[in-house]
Amino acid sequence: MELKIDGLSKTYANGVIALNDVSLTIPHGMYGLLGPNGAGKSTLMRTIATLQEADSGSMRLGEIDVLKQKDEVRKRLGYLPQEFGVYPRISAQDMLDHLALLKGIGGSRARKELVESMLKRCNLYDFRKKALTSFSGGMRQRFGIAQALIGNPQLLIVDEPTAGLDPGERNRFYNLLAEVGEQVIVILSTHIVEDVTDLCTKMAIIHEGRVLYEGKPDDAVAQLKDRVWQRSIAKADLTSYEQRYRVISNRLVGGRPHLHVLGPQPPEDGFTPSIPDLEDVFFTRIRGWS
Amino acid sequence: MFPHIAWFEIRYWLRSWMLWIFTLIVATMIFGAASSDHIQVGGALSNTYRNAPYVIENYYAIIGLLTLLMVTAFVNSAAARDFSHNTYQIIFTTPLRRRDFLLGRFFGATLVSVIPMLGVSIGILLARYMPWVEPERWERIIWSAHLKGILVFALPNAFFMAAILFTIAVLARNEIVSFIGALLLLTGYGVSAALLSDIEREHIAALLDPFAIRTFALATKYWTVAEKNSNSMGLSGLMLWNRLLWIGVGVLFLIFAYYRFSFAERRQKARKTQELSQPAAASVVLPTVTASASSLEMYLSSVKIHLVGIFKGTVFIVVLLAGLLNCVPGMAISAREGYGNSTLPVTYWLLQTIAGSLYLFLIGLITYYAGVLIWKDRDAHMDEITDSLPAPEWISYAARFTALGVMVMLVQFLALASALIIQTSYGYHRYQLGLYLNQLFVLDLSLFFFLGVLAFFIHALSPNKYVGYFVYVAFLIVNLFIWKPLNVASDLVQFGSTPDVTYSDMFGNAPYITAWYWFTLYWTLFCGLLAIATVMFWPRGRQGRWAERWRIARLRFSTPWPALALLCLVSFAATGGWIFYNTEVLNRLIGPKDQLALRADYEKNYKQFDRLPQPHVRSDKYWVDIFPRTRNMTMRVQEELYNPYPQPLTEIHYTTDLLYDTDIQIPGATLVKNDTRLFYRIYHFTPPLQPGESRTAIFTVKSKNRGFEDSVSNVEITQDGTFFNNTVAPMIGYDTGRELDDPNDRRKYGVGEQELMRPLERNCTDDCRDNYLRAHSDWVDLETVISTSPDQIAIAPGSLVREWQENGRRYFDYKLDHPALRFFSFMSAGYEVQREEWNGVKLEVYYDKDHPWNVQRMMNSLKKSLEYYTQNYGPYYHKEARIIEFPRVATFAQAFAGTMPYSESIGFIANLNHPDDIDMVYYVVAHEMGHQWWAHQVVGADMQGATLLSESLAQYSALMVMEKEYGRDTMRKFLKYEMDNYLRSRGRERHKEEPLLTVESQQGYVHYRKASVVLYYLKEMIGEEAVNRALRKVIKQYAYNAPPYPTSHALVDALREETPPQLQYLIKDLFEDITLFSNRTLDATAVKRPDGKYDVTINVETHKYKADAKGNETEVPMDDWIDIGAFAKPEKGRKYGKTLYRDRVHIANSKSTYTFTTAELPDEAGVDPFLLLIDRVPDDNTKKVTLTSASAASTNQVRGK
Repeated sequence: MELKIDGLSKTYANGVIALNDVSLTIPHGMYGLLGPNGAGKSTLMRTIATLQEADSGSMRLGEIDVLKQKDEVRKRLGYLPQEFGVYPRISAQDMLDHLALLKGIGGSRARKELVESMLKRCNLYDFRKKALTSFSGGMRQRFGIAQALIGNPQLLIVDEPTAGLDPGERNRFYNLLAEVGEQVIVILSTHIVEDVTDLCTKMAIIHEGRVLYEGKPDDAVAQLKDRVWQRSIAKADLTSYEQRYRVISNRLVGGRPHLHVLGPQPPEDGFTPSIPDLEDVFFTRIRGWS
Repeated sequence: MFPHIAWFEIRYWLRSWMLWIFTLIVATMIFGAASSDHIQVGGALSNTYRNAPYVIENYYAIIGLLTLLMVTAFVNSAAARDFSHNTYQIIFTTPLRRRDFLLGRFFGATLVSVIPMLGVSIGILLARYMPWVEPERWERIIWSAHLKGILVFALPNAFFMAAILFTIAVLARNEIVSFIGALLLLTGYGVSAALLSDIEREHIAALLDPFAIRTFALATKYWTVAEKNSNSMGLSGLMLWNRLLWIGVGVLFLIFAYYRFSFAERRQKARKTQELSQPAAASVVLPTVTASASSLEMYLSSVKIHLVGIFKGTVFIVVLLAGLLNCVPGMAISAREGYGNSTLPVTYWLLQTIAGSLYLFLIGLITYYAGVLIWKDRDAHMDEITDSLPAPEWISYAARFTALGVMVMLVQFLALASALIIQTSYGYHRYQLGLYLNQLFVLDLSLFFFLGVLAFFIHALSPNKYVGYFVYVAFLIVNLFIWKPLNVASDLVQFGSTPDVTYSDMFGNAPYITAWYWFTLYWTLFCGLLAIATVMFWPRGRQGRWAERWRIARLRFSTPWPALALLCLVSFAATGGWIFYNTEVLNRLIGPKDQLALRADYEKNYKQFDRLPQPHVRSDKYWVDIFPRTRNMTMRVQEELYNPYPQPLTEIHYTTDLLYDTDIQIPGATLVKNDTRLFYRIYHFTPPLQPGESRTAIFTVKSKNRGFEDSVSNVEITQDGTFFNNTVAPMIGYDTGRELDDPNDRRKYGVGEQELMRPLERNCTDDCRDNYLRAHSDWVDLETVISTSPDQIAIAPGSLVREWQENGRRYFDYKLDHPALRFFSFMSAGYEVQREEWNGVKLEVYYDKDHPWNVQRMMNSLKKSLEYYTQNYGPYYHKEARIIEFPRVATFAQAFAGTMPYSESIGFIANLNHPDDIDMVYYVVAHEMGHQWWAHQVVGADMQGATLLSESLAQYSALMVMEKEYGRDTMRKFLKYEMDNYLRSRGRERHKEEPLLTVESQQGYVHYRKASVVLYYLKEMIGEEAVNRALRKVIKQYAYNAPPYPTSHALVDALREETPPQLQYLIKDLFEDITLFSNRTLDATAVKRPDGKYDVTINVETHKYKADAKGNETEVPMDDWIDIGAFAKPEKGRKYGKTLYRDRVHIANSKSTYTFTTAELPDEAGVDPFLLLIDRVPDDNTKKVTLTSASAASTNQVRGK
């Protein structure tokens, strides 16, 4: 089963174009949606999750028309939003049980066992009776994935899941995600390039509502072979370099700007070749080069 | 630093729209109240100027209470702004001092709080210049009144409120807690008002009133119109103490706040759960689940989650507590019947109390939680998770609605439990659980159901929570108030509106309930449509423009919704049609404005015939058939008319009852005018009716009860409890009772001032041909044949001649034993009867089987009254005296010839178990029996002073019966209430106050209240025997006489003849003038004598005044006989101590001293201790006695100078 998106467009009431003729083919496995803040990733995620309408275009999940058969989609969906809160004065176990019930999981004893197992798997079992509002950021995120995973969804949407988590928490989170079955479509949206590099078999880059690239990460990186150059420079020279060359990125290393520049050959003396990575791909595409 | 902070605070608010909106609200309210009569703030204005100082200060006092929530908003912000806006981390780490911060914010907030109150002055000053006001109701601007209003009320009230609220806000740092504090303050105020409403506790109540509303009311209680127009209340006496007390309380709160406040963060509870370092997530195998959840399971789980969320919330608990706090004391105190008595805690009274005191809070809870439930997911930012779940919208809706419903029912249940506990604690066991359940969970719950559906609908469609709340509240307010100005009376249009249902122990709610069921069905179907719409438009995911929402709704609107919606719609239309047919086609539904217009038109067209000579009635014969089950009645009347005038009469006019179909047949008379809109007919005699000639008229009167009505127009005939007068039959001539009596209505509909009674004449003949009670008839004979259903008893005036059954109906034949005033009542119900006999007179009390408690008391009063009256006035000519209970659609007792109907809701349920309670049942029965002589034997002519002969003498008669039964000493409490009532009512007189001799029939406060005090005083002075001799004389001379009827001069002359020469001044003082005293005891001391007795010395100051019609008083020299006396300390649990000394002295100076001896130490002593004289301030007549040593007292031993 795959999710096929065709020419999806949405403009908000204030004139902002969130999605501009977006077409994607998302097979099962981990699919990364990469893009800066405000690119339209969340709009796309919400539309797939049946929470938002599109102005034009279509989406099919296998045989199901996502835009018109929302209930069918919801039965197969697991959604972890970018930001979510929790009801006050309710425990993790009770909330998860309630959500599981609303997802259609019947049989109270079986459901109870399922909930407990899920909490164990997410390392929340010891805190299952505590109020959700008392959870730390990482714990809350784990709860979020627990509710998204419960009920064996066939379409899992995770929107910016690791923002605000420390490295240890990020690892724990990805381990959970990795347990998801092979036949599940997982769409992971993020602006953290490493997440895509580490996890995803296919990706798309979105910027200002448009798809700039869709394909395998490796293929994108391969396109930049032998075209990326690096050099450390003085802070005062930064402006002049940016004016003269195609500066892909500029990062401080040991307090001095360290540039990646795009070009068929080294732009000048002092530049050494740099092995291209997905970050280079990202910035290159964003700027519309190559 | 402190002035800077205060000034910063003030500037902050001056720039805020909230401050100016509040000011605008206050100014508009007062503007409206001052410039028109539609809006009232703190009661209607009487005859004072609209900008009188009294009025201005009264507004300032009341506005304090109304602006409490505004002050809360200002103070909250000032105290907690840094926490709610999260700037405290910056502000509190500067070198700011605690004192400067607290005081600066506080004073800033307090001064700002005063600004909206100034809206009172703005409103009044502006109102004056409006083109629609009447210039003669406004006087020149008295600036000192405005200043005093600000100084005495606005500033101290703002200070006090701000101090308490500031303290709460600055220590709790939570807005909700502050608003709840304000709510508790308001509730506490209301509760204390109820607890301290007894007149005995007035002064404490006035002192303990932080807004000084009661203080102001007490201080100005007896101010006349003249005083209200010129005097303003300053800071003196009780008012000063009150202000000082509450400013002191405010200061204490501030000191507390200062010491407890600290800039540091409050100790946080360990909020974050500790996370231990985790081993990697072990591969946990998830069990497989096959069963799928049913809709029912999803629904129930959701209901549980929402309920828990509501019940654990602070707002619910606090508002519920506030509501119960308001409701429970109200129920415990139960109904006040007046004179400080209470009624038994019958179930319908408690239910009414619950509705009046708890439902506002309950509606508040519904309003608040409807919003909370709809916005819950979005507020918690959980909406993206919950909205993407596969649960359908209708389950979400149903679960939330159920949670709201369960909350409401829980509150109802708590109210029910409280009511039952209260009833049990009073030893009252007639719980009537069925009535509770019906009222709380069916009749009232339906309204809450409608409100809930509407709230959900509005919130589901609103873009945000606040718009939702605003629209909902605005809708409710408009829905409540807009229909009367639009002249719409139908409940079909006002959302959720159903006919009023009154409960009576006699008829249950039978007359009203059919209509109620239909209207409830109507609105339920409408709400069904609203609910379906709500589900279709249920917010899910991100809401786009309306076009998008509409599209989604259309997609959702698939089976089964279209079928359901169609069913609801069709049923709704059908029900509406059926209701319309019943309420507006079968019956008439007249808008409120139209009703008033009809009355005005009647007066405009027919007042001209008011004093036209008409034939008089000589005898009546009635055949009445009552059909309780269908609430219908038919009546046939045979009336003998004759011409009592020396000239022939050419016309006879009739006013017919608008609730009945009337047919009139008069031989020799032709109908020349038949006004079917205003119910007036004119017949022409051909040939004219000669002096002394008589004709017999035949009337047929039929009630028109068909189908059901929106509001029951004829409450006189019910399924069990029928009570109507002979006025349902055509009445001769013009009926002044139909005129509009509210002066504002009269002005609006152009009928001018209401005519007062004719001036008193001494030797009148032609002007006294009619009595004031019933024109166009004198003493008539009556026979009635009345039938009803076999399980009821029907009663008409007179002795029961025969009773029989025929055609499944029960018949009674009654005949009057003696001609009487043409004032007859007809009644029927399923009565129990208690019968006794006194001297050949049959005494009967007809009552509902559930109200036996006071029946014996009534019987006793009947006996004792008859005993006293026949002994002292003259014979009683009827062979029976009946008290008959009627349903609580009206609340009075009345006297007809030998018959006294008495309402279910007074007397029968009076709670008289405290020895100091005035036995109102006894009293009212004695009063009505008194009327058997005073009105039904001797009745005044139709001019001023008429009521002196009837009402005043009935009052006096009842007082005497009470005194004989309960003793002279118990008269104290009763007379105190009567005097208080008289003095208070004087200040509300719209025209001019008349002395007793020329009293107007509207001036109840004179002919009931003042008369009680005055006649009792006269009896004390000239003796009971002398008064009764005079009364006997009046009876002998005028009882049952043909016209001309006697005037008040008859009584006053008779009394004058029985008054000794040195007391002749009393007749003028009491009857011809308006006389007031101001007596006070300056001090009272006692010295113990060697023989164990006590010498008591009192210094008194006495003044006497005569008042003119507007209340301007002039002092006159004292030359009166007044009592002095002393009382012992009251025994435990009693209010009044026994009398230790009583004597009558002659006082001719303003200052005097008296000494007397008592057997034991008195508790209080003074002048006029029994309150026989009308006194501006009755409370200072006696003073507490202080024990002094012998030497100090001996120098004061001077007898009256």
